Amino acid sequence: MHPFAQVILDGLFTGSTYALMAAGLALILGVVKVVNLSHGAFFSLGAYVAYVLSGKGVSNPAAAVLLACVIAFAFGVFLGKSFINPVRSHPFSVAVGSLGFAILFEQAAQMLWGPHPVSIGSGPPWGELSGVVVRRWGAVSLLASAGILGGLALFLSSRWGLPLKLISEEEEIAGSVGIDVEKIRYLTFGFASATAAAAGALLAPATSITPTMGRVPLILSLIVVIASGMENVLAIFLLAVGLGLLSNIGAYLLAPQWSYVSLLTVISLLLLLRPGGLSAADPGRDY
Amino acid sequence: MSDLLRAEGIEKAFGATRVLRGVSLSVGTAEVVGLFGPNGAGKTVMANVLSGLIFPDRGRILYDGKEITRLPMDARFRAGLTRTFQIPSPYPALTVMESVLVARLCGDPGRGGKGRSLREDGEEVESVLRRTGLFAQRFWPAAKLSQGCLRRLEFARAISCRPKLVLLDEVFSALSAKDEAELAGLMRSLHEDDGISFLLISHNPLLLAEMCDRAVAIEGGRVVWGGEPADLPAVLPAATGDDTGQ
Amino acid sequence: MRNTTGALALGAGMLLLLPLAGLDPFLLDVLTSGFLLASYVGSWDIVGGVAGQISLGHALFFGAATYSCALLTSLAGWPFAAAGGAALLLSTGAAAVVGTMSARLKGPFIALLTLALGELAHEVMIGQTFFSPRGAYSWGGEGGVPVALPWDAPSPWAAYYGALLFLFVSAWGMRRIALSREGLVWTAISGSELTARASGVDVARHKRRAFVAAGLFAGAAGVGFAAYVGRATTTDLSLELSFQAATFAAIGGRGTVVGPVLAALILHTVFRGAGVSPAARVLLYALALLLVLRFFPAGVAGALRQRIRARKMISGGAIR
Repeated sequence: MHPFAQVILDGLFTGSTYALMAAGLALILGVVKVVNLSHGAFFSLGAYVAYVLSGKGVSNPAAAVLLACVIAFAFGVFLGKSFINPVRSHPFSVAVGSLGFAILFEQAAQMLWGPHPVSIGSGPPWGELSGVVVRRWGAVSLLASAGILGGLALFLSSRWGLPLKLISEEEEIAGSVGIDVEKIRYLTFGFASATAAAAGALLAPATSITPTMGRVPLILSLIVVIASGMENVLAIFLLAVGLGLLSNIGAYLLAPQWSYVSLLTVISLLLLLRPGGLSAADPGRDY
Repeated sequence: MSDLLRAEGIEKAFGATRVLRGVSLSVGTAEVVGLFGPNGAGKTVMANVLSGLIFPDRGRILYDGKEITRLPMDARFRAGLTRTFQIPSPYPALTVMESVLVARLCGDPGRGGKGRSLREDGEEVESVLRRTGLFAQRFWPAAKLSQGCLRRLEFARAISCRPKLVLLDEVFSALSAKDEAELAGLMRSLHEDDGISFLLISHNPLLLAEMCDRAVAIEGGRVVWGGEPADLPAVLPAATGDDTGQ
Repeated sequence: MRNTTGALALGAGMLLLLPLAGLDPFLLDVLTSGFLLASYVGSWDIVGGVAGQISLGHALFFGAATYSCALLTSLAGWPFAAAGGAALLLSTGAAAVVGTMSARLKGPFIALLTLALGELAHEVMIGQTFFSPRGAYSWGGEGGVPVALPWDAPSPWAAYYGALLFLFVSAWGMRRIALSREGLVWTAISGSELTARASGVDVARHKRRAFVAAGLFAGAAGVGFAAYVGRATTTDLSLELSFQAATFAAIGGRGTVVGPVLAALILHTVFRGAGVSPAARVLLYALALLLVLRFFPAGVAGALRQRIRARKMISGGAIR
């Protein structure tokens, strides 16, 4: 079997996990209506949680994901409630502040765990299909991401998801029918941060863990959200998987850093081709 | 009377919503035309199309004999076609005088702020501010102005470079009686003394009847009536009922 | 207003006399690099503060200058003066390109684009290896490229006064630009692009000009830095450096030029002088930034300016 098949399978696994993170970013964009640059930091947070747990002898991915989600949710709610919500209407404060939070985390991680990459064991593979190894982290990632994304889609289409939809589409009505808009905003921010951390915890065995590792998935999620909009969970999933595949192939054929370079090129081109970007993230009204 | 501004068959849709469905109207030189319509009739979208803020899907716009359908808003301002906004968004960091000075520096065709001293510009701006009744507040931050003064500032900005045609989008709505009377007087003097044309957009037929030479009514994105403004309240009696502008 | 000018003059005088009081070489170095950093931060304020374009890739212009100084002197063998001139051209050109690219974008999307372009330059430079023409060793990567300087060991005094003079001249120039007619138009665009467009302002053109002016000054700071440090490294292009510019400006007060310059100079001197490690320094800056954005959105100089404005409003025009 060609090694390429392995690359494609791993890319599929990675991409499905990125989809989880992109969905979180899309949720923030839709409900909180800000472009959040701290999303990548939560991804790294999840990976470091998995690293710390494995150092303590706990290698169960479910434990890592759960703990990462809890910590990220707490951080996300705190950040959303105490910072993002009050400065929401200032694009400068949101952009620079959320980047500031990401950099704060990167520097803290560098001081805690050092600037050099660390890694954790990926455990025994689950099985082999004609020479292609199905890795444990990969299968777990795919199942967990698909599960969480499916749950999210169900939640949004159910009665409980109605307030979120209302806020994202008709903010004024949502406020006037007695929905606590601010509370839903920071809870959404916390939940979305938890999805990023879950993605990080899931992918931790597959990558080298560094303080700045969150930048690649952040750019990837931003591309997904700008290109596919934020309503359609399936479109987000497919695009994220496609980009994950592409960046994995790029990393295999060239060098790992080129996947970041190509993602940066893609997002620059995308912004040039779609200067309108996303209307929801633009607080200034033109009409 | 030759047409200064002429819009033909303007269509504009946002997604599936067709806001304008073939609107044609014209404004002659030194003429005041009223554009009437209830809320949601497409008046503001029409103003946005005419001023170049958005471009129409179909149809064309002629100004001063030239086609300007896809000319951006800033270029239209420099050509003498200016507008005011229903909801003004003032520059928060600038004073009233500086706000108008920006228009003088960039909006004057040909000269582009060069070869003129700042004092000449300053005097010009001061005279505009005197006319619009903002002279006493000229050193105020624009963000600290009252609603009435913000409308005056919009007016001052729109007339600062001696335009030929000004689009006034609901400039008289939600104003005190004093502010409204002063702005109406200013508009009249600009029209009579300087020969500036106006397209007055309002949902208040009584106001249009008083101010305009001619009126056009749109509803549902189509022109439904055109004629003497004095007939407007009579022709559209239903419209006078929802007069929220006073 | 007179008080502010007086305080600035006093500070400048102290900086002039400080080396005579017998500073140790470490503090001299901290201050010298602080002057260069401060003028770089001031250049961010031209585009990010005065013109209100959220640039998160400002290090691109700084690093473009340091790298062209290094590559042109070490690899191509140019004299430093010629390389410096070319570096200025390159960073100004890069700024023109970035300005053109972001002219049609708004707020957060300019932040994204500039961030992506800055990171792109950083990643490309990390991956590049240059082979020295004389020896068998190679340059590039994280370690960067050396600058071939016309002097061997620069006197710390000369460097100190050179950098201080550069800061005075560039800060004065940037302040003049911010207060010029062009600066007025930039401030208007920063306040409301819609109203500016409705006032006949060709927004894209003026945004591009703001980027070009900022890129020129950032490039000049980069040339100065290359001359002082003698090496171009990937730190010069890093997101952390771009972020620091926005941070110091936000703390000092965006759009005032003087505020960001002073904030950069003071914070850099205090934290580096106290021997805080680079990682901890950036962490503290980020923390300070979050607090300032949350509680004093106008920054220190911005809050001061608002009070001055309020006074001028009463004395300059009668209230009816």
